[in-house]
Amino acid sequence: MNAFKRDKKEEEDGGGNPFSNLEKTTVLQEARTFNDTPVNPRKCGQILTKILYLLNQGEQLGTTEATEAFFAMTKLFQSRDVVLRRLVYLGIKELSTVAEDVIIVTSSLTKDMTGKEDLYRAAAIRALCTITDSGMLAAIERYMKQAIVDKSPSVASAALVSSLHLSGVSSDVARRWANEAQEALNSDSVMVQYHALGVLYQARKSDRHAVIKLVAKLMKSSPKSPYAACMLIRMACKLLDESNEGNELMEFIESCLRHKSEMVVYEAAHAIVNLARSGIREIAPAISVLQHFCSSSKPALRFAAVRTLNKVAMTHPTAVTACNLDLENLITDSNRSIATLAITTLLKTGAESSVDR
Amino acid sequence: MDGHLMEPTLYTVKGIAILDNDGHRLLAKYYDKNIFSTTKEQKAFEKNIFNKTHRSNSEIIMMDGMTCVYQSSVDLYFYVMGDSHENELILMSVLHCLFESISVILRRNVEKRAVLDNLDVVMLAMDEICDGGIILDANPINVVQRVALRSDDTPLGEQTVAQVLQSAKEQLKWSLLK
Repeated sequence: MNAFKRDKKEEEDGGGNPFSNLEKTTVLQEARTFNDTPVNPRKCGQILTKILYLLNQGEQLGTTEATEAFFAMTKLFQSRDVVLRRLVYLGIKELSTVAEDVIIVTSSLTKDMTGKEDLYRAAAIRALCTITDSGMLAAIERYMKQAIVDKSPSVASAALVSSLHLSGVSSDVARRWANEAQEALNSDSVMVQYHALGVLYQARKSDRHAVIKLVAKLMKSSPKSPYAACMLIRMACKLLDESNEGNELMEFIESCLRHKSEMVVYEAAHAIVNLARSGIREIAPAISVLQHFCSSSKPALRFAAVRTLNKVAMTHPTAVTACNLDLENLITDSNRSIATLAITTLLKTGAESSVDR
Repeated sequence: MDGHLMEPTLYTVKGIAILDNDGHRLLAKYYDKNIFSTTKEQKAFEKNIFNKTHRSNSEIIMMDGMTCVYQSSVDLYFYVMGDSHENELILMSVLHCLFESISVILRRNVEKRAVLDNLDVVMLAMDEICDGGIILDANPINVVQRVALRSDDTPLGEQTVAQVLQSAKEQLKWSLLK
């Protein structure tokens, strides 16, 4: 409590927030320090943080201002300070849409992405891809393919995620790098696996047959990453939604109801009740999972469950009746959204007997 | 189907925000150009969500067609936003990662003052968690590892001869490149 009071007082004295009352023009003027040699990492880091803070607050920079700041920032590549270098990457990403001639940093970033330091490499890849246009793509393609199959998870993830972003620049990027993504899919890292699956789906989504093959193959090995499992469930659902076949797909989703991660279990339950083909028999196991979630100690899980039940109650009110008791307990939930959803669900499923209670 | 099946995509997070106890933005990022495209809209949303959430600690709320999970600490409010049909538990995992990594970075002292003192590293952490709406990593240990390695802030006088030589070499290279 004392500490709180002291902080309060500091704030009132104006010394509390070093970032309040920052003036754009003053800060940009300070950025001229970036040209000094040798670079003072601490001081420049502070100034760069101020610039990033202002941009984050929504301060608009004109093209000239942004370009000047961008070019000043490029001088900081001289420093080997890790935090400063990483802030420069952030700055590049933030200013790349406003400043002109941002491709000036291409060679510096390519050097960092092919260097030894993994932490530079991953962040440099992500920064590089924000300034890459369709013309430059060919020049970095070789490095990107290498990075996707890199043994460092952070590098591989950065390259995979960036290639998804680059799909906006050139639509066939994912397809051209699919072989590498396929290899990354076998990674031990849960995130690399997830990102690789995202790229492969992007590459194949217009070819139904290829998606079926991809899903079939993954269903057998059942991905370790819960995120990848959720993605796989969504892919399976899309296939099921488009055709009447696919019993194996349905079985796979049902098997996910017994996954050890709650995230995946919920994803599967949600998928089953939302599939048009699901009848009372198919949704029953999903409903019992959701019913179980209703008494979870985690508000987000209770919310997710009751929201999904609320949806099912519109199409299959009788299937939800079994959960009425659990839903009644949620009426007094401290989270108002949960309480409201519970009440509206009960209105659809409740009989006169429960109204009395 | 009426669009309740989720499209298979890695673009999961619509926004991340850290607000202070007046509802003012400390840091915020929005990843979907179609929602809150202007700062004005964003800040209006932040004000709105702060008013709805600052008194209760109930973790999750639906707002403006989005699912929003949140957590508070002393004088700070952390928010992660996603589509209204998004898997809430995925969003929670992002929020948990954000909070835990910042908590480690600030040495368990999660309050406004500490965030402002370490704003550079906090910004880097946010950047490591989510890249353009895609979850980059949701494991706080990994995130902290990727950002918190402050180089030992050696003042110039204490640098080793090798370091000085190295930086001199780099500078020379730069002046030649100019």
